[in-house]
Amino acid sequence: MISRSQRIVIWGLVWIALIALSAPTLVVIGASFTSGDIITFPPDGFSLKWYDRVARAGELRAAFFRSLWVATICTLVAMPVGTLAGIALSRYRLRFGNVVQVYLLLPFTIPLIGSGIGLMLVFGAWGALGNLWPIGVACAVINLPFIIWSVSSSAALLDPDLELAAANCGAGRVQTFFAVTLPAVMPGVITGSLLMFILAMNEFLVSLLLVDARTMTLPVQIYNSIRSIITPDLAAVSVVFIAVAAAAIALLDRLVGLEIFLKSK
Amino acid sequence: MSTAEAVRTDTASTATTAVSVDGVDMDFGTGTLAVRDASFTLETGRFLTILGPSGSGKTTLLRLIAGFQTPTRGEIRIHGQRISAKPPHKRSIGMVFQRLALFPHMTAAENVAFPLKMRRHDPATTPDKVDAYLRLVRLDGLGDRRIHELSGGQQQRVAIARALVFEPDLLLLDEPLAALDRKLREEMQLEFRRIQKELGVTTINVTHDQREALVVSDEIIVMDHGEIQQAARPSEMYRNPANAFVANFIGVTSFLDGRFDGGALDVGGVSCAGTPVSKLDPGSPARGAIRAEQVRLGAPGTTLEACDTQLDGVVDDVIFEGERLVYVVTVPALGDAALRIYHHDPAAQDLYGAGAAVRVGWTEADLRIFKKTGEPA
Ligand SMILES: Nc1ncnc2c1ncn2[C@@H]1O[C@H](COP(=O)(O)OP(=O)(O)OP(=O)(O)O)[C@@H](O)[C@H]1O
Ligand SMILES: [Mg+2]
Repeated sequence: MISRSQRIVIWGLVWIALIALSAPTLVVIGASFTSGDIITFPPDGFSLKWYDRVARAGELRAAFFRSLWVATICTLVAMPVGTLAGIALSRYRLRFGNVVQVYLLLPFTIPLIGSGIGLMLVFGAWGALGNLWPIGVACAVINLPFIIWSVSSSAALLDPDLELAAANCGAGRVQTFFAVTLPAVMPGVITGSLLMFILAMNEFLVSLLLVDARTMTLPVQIYNSIRSIITPDLAAVSVVFIAVAAAAIALLDRLVGLEIFLKSK
Repeated sequence: MSTAEAVRTDTASTATTAVSVDGVDMDFGTGTLAVRDASFTLETGRFLTILGPSGSGKTTLLRLIAGFQTPTRGEIRIHGQRISAKPPHKRSIGMVFQRLALFPHMTAAENVAFPLKMRRHDPATTPDKVDAYLRLVRLDGLGDRRIHELSGGQQQRVAIARALVFEPDLLLLDEPLAALDRKLREEMQLEFRRIQKELGVTTINVTHDQREALVVSDEIIVMDHGEIQQAARPSEMYRNPANAFVANFIGVTSFLDGRFDGGALDVGGVSCAGTPVSKLDPGSPARGAIRAEQVRLGAPGTTLEACDTQLDGVVDDVIFEGERLVYVVTVPALGDAALRIYHHDPAAQDLYGAGAAVRVGWTEADLRIFKKTGEPA
């Protein structure tokens, strides 16, 4: 049993953490509903005029759909690659296992600006810049470790004899993969894919290097607007962003159940 | 007509060799062999239990028979065919894994249907077969549950149904009951026996529970340190253990260390009547073994009927086990050796307490004299 004073301390810490984590979000949400003309918190009255303005802003809307498209490409590229890599890493003894492990640490060791310049050079040499798909592929490349982690941690939870059991049931290697291994790691695949989608939606630094005026993604568009003047419509855009992320999490909950998602971590 | 007869239509096989293991070694490169020179044969329709302490190589041997690993030396044949002749999914072996390895994304019924689907049985008969086997393991009505919605014992039975449903030639069970509580375990042991008898499938079961081995098996193999110590029928194994290890592992046994004097066991100058089991040189170190039910107990000063050796002892401890008592009696004449003795009526009035003086004895036939090996029992 925890004592009364321990309970107070624990709940105090929980609330401090919750407030610290959610304060920026709450401030932005509040500021987006202001009826004034400058971005302030607490908001100056209540109105939806900035949302109206965002909805009418053709540039922002176009950038938003470009970002959705980039995120879709990123997810479509990352899903098969990340799933296969994640399964291979945790279910089969790999010859170059160590090399892959090091690769998984890359996002924390190589500054994004470095990978971004590298990708810019590669796509530039191919003459692919100016399209949206290189941005999606770039997002997939730099964030791939996240889906690999998600899948491999899901796969590591499975019984090590699962594939042998399938063989005993008469399933060949290919059947075993599609009928047993893949469905059993599905929670990890779905979690990882949604993560990739959100990361690509939000990706800024690498996109900044790869976009031009025709392929401006939403984060870059917002950044460019800030450089001129900060108006409450940017807060409204941020709220739309947050809503997309929340929708993704709600979808995740429907698809795999938040419980499985949390357990697989 | 039973459920099993309804689902299993092929005729009972005649007595042929189902499994033959010949001179098998398994070396994982750890310095010692996990299995050393294992050889045995098993006839079709028989139930064999591999019994041994943890790390004795039971799982390794079972996995070799399943063909998951290739032996370093020797040969394993199933119905005369080398195990490596076919890829794993073409073999007709049903296996219940130590950790079950059920498919977590499927329901109980889908797990049981999986082998039928993979082995291309007629899809029209699949639902009936799945139902029949779920009924066989007493899971009727639970087929729609996901695996994590079932209790440990129920998951266990799904694994058994999945292993049996395609009517394999050979059933391999790797300690599938180890995680269950005692009562359920004993129920499941009898269940195994019943199912195996009904289906007549050749079965190899692995356990470290001697009671389970004695209850369910036609034959037992006792392993220690990767070596087969003895292979025999349960009653034979119990009555005539081949060495001190087997005597200790099966049954409750007390040991007396001494020397073989040509006819009896000499323990510090006291001659103990006994029967040598292995060939012993006079004067060589030897170990006497006697079962707890074979030591007679009486009041001090009395003469125990028909006992060839009788000595005075002191009750050191009385262990209440419910249906029986175990007296631990030390015998000063034998250097305070401890003998464990059963008393089968714990409700009786004339029980001895700790510290009581008693007389113990045994017949020549009941004390078995083994060659003394290195390690203590
Ligand atoms: N893949 C492996 N690599 C190396 N050593 C192994 C491997 N599998 C088993 N061993 C070793 O072989 C020996 C026998 O192991 P095994 O799993 O067969 O024991 P067991 O009798 O099944 O024990 P338990 O009752 O604990 O399951 C052990 O010493 C073990 O450490
Ligand atoms: Mg084992």
